[in-house]
Amino acid sequence: MTKAMLIDVSKCMACRACQVACKAWNDLPAEITVCAGCYDNPTDLSPDTWNRIAFWEVERDGGRVDWVFRPVRCMHCSDAPCVRVCPTGALFKDPMGFTAYDESKCNGCGYCVQFCPFDVPRLKEADLWGKGKTTKCTFCQDRVHEGLTPACAKACPTGAIKFGNRAELMAEGRARVEKLKGNGFTDANLYGANLLGGLGMTYVLTDKPEVFELPRNPTGGLAEAWQPWIQTLGGVAVGATALGLVITWLVARQNIKVEEAEGG
Amino acid sequence: MARKSDEILMFSTAQRFVHWLHTAAFAVLMVTGVALYAPWFGNSVATGAGGHVVRLIHRFGAIAFMLVPICYLLFDPQGLFAAMKRIFTWGPDDLGWLRAAPAYYFLGDEEAMPPQDKYNTGQKLFYLVVVFCMVGFIVTGLIMWFAKGAVAPWVFQWSVFIHDLCTIAYAAFFLVHFMLSVMHPLMKGALNGMLFGWMPREYVKHHHAKYYEKLESES
Repeated sequence: MTKAMLIDVSKCMACRACQVACKAWNDLPAEITVCAGCYDNPTDLSPDTWNRIAFWEVERDGGRVDWVFRPVRCMHCSDAPCVRVCPTGALFKDPMGFTAYDESKCNGCGYCVQFCPFDVPRLKEADLWGKGKTTKCTFCQDRVHEGLTPACAKACPTGAIKFGNRAELMAEGRARVEKLKGNGFTDANLYGANLLGGLGMTYVLTDKPEVFELPRNPTGGLAEAWQPWIQTLGGVAVGATALGLVITWLVARQNIKVEEAEGG
Repeated sequence: MARKSDEILMFSTAQRFVHWLHTAAFAVLMVTGVALYAPWFGNSVATGAGGHVVRLIHRFGAIAFMLVPICYLLFDPQGLFAAMKRIFTWGPDDLGWLRAAPAYYFLGDEEAMPPQDKYNTGQKLFYLVVVFCMVGFIVTGLIMWFAKGAVAPWVFQWSVFIHDLCTIAYAAFFLVHFMLSVMHPLMKGALNGMLFGWMPREYVKHHHAKYYEKLESES
């Protein structure tokens, strides 16, 4: 059964319990941060922060300001560009639907960082000689496989983060969107139901995706072209060349034999 | 100019050194690069700490690779400029060669092959691929090595893409080059030229008639 999470931002109060629970379960140290003039803390994902709350102030007509926020973490795309470009199989799709990670296999190439449409993975201990390990939310793969709820969903005090069977959560999300629309949130929408094969991290948004800095049409970019086309092209081009050369070699050898026979 | 009367000097010591430096760098880069390019290979050899070593070796290979054009320019600038002039000069005999080549290589019919200069059309084509791919490799490689994170993701993505395309072109043409110079039964003599600098007079006369004529008229 495909699992997913549904994050209802209308229920999120930005308490950061998920941020703390994520650090506690994954044994990630706290970071020394500076005040950036906003509530975001830290202001970006990092090798030690796989989940954080991002805040936005949205000015409405008439000068009213809405304060919106959402947890930012790996979106666990079904058709994940990071998995497509990962040359080692360190990133892979778990049968349960999320994008799993085996750190021992990662060789630090960082392609996942560059091909992620949501700018999520971060390299740790990266240097110019190619060292490094990628980091990102693992969907608490070590908990989920033991039948437990991911740490963030477990810790969420308002029920904004829900974990469960994807089909059920999507039905719940759609119902919630209709209810929000009835309550005056006319731009409410369910984000990620079908994007990139269906995201494993989906949102009930109270406003357009742009307001939450979520791309309307995320794509894998060149990752789509890269595999399998380029790899197929490489195999075909080199294979055809090799075949042609074998023929050439046989023809040339045959000719020598003929010439020798004629000469002799 | 000839060491022996039956041989002709084709490549200077600097040219041969640069050629074999290029070969060594290519071998290292190809093996380590394919590990990062193809999962069926990478999954077994390029994972974890071993994968980091593979990528580290690729960087050392890259340094040797970048030294190739630099060494050529420093040690034999005249040879480099002459070669560049040759590969960018195309004439009717090149078109004739392209038309006649399939019959020659696949049917053994040598009749229609036009006389060739120091590099034949196929060699010029390979040299052009090498020059353009070398620029492609070095520019995109430097971006991936030093500018990862500093440039926009689409720049990095295109760099990987172009690097891959250059690899495919390089690998295919390398196979042809290796086959014709080392294994092909009718091309014995070409390898000699790159190993020791000298090629049999008869070989040059037969395969590079235009160049041979020039040498004859000069002497």
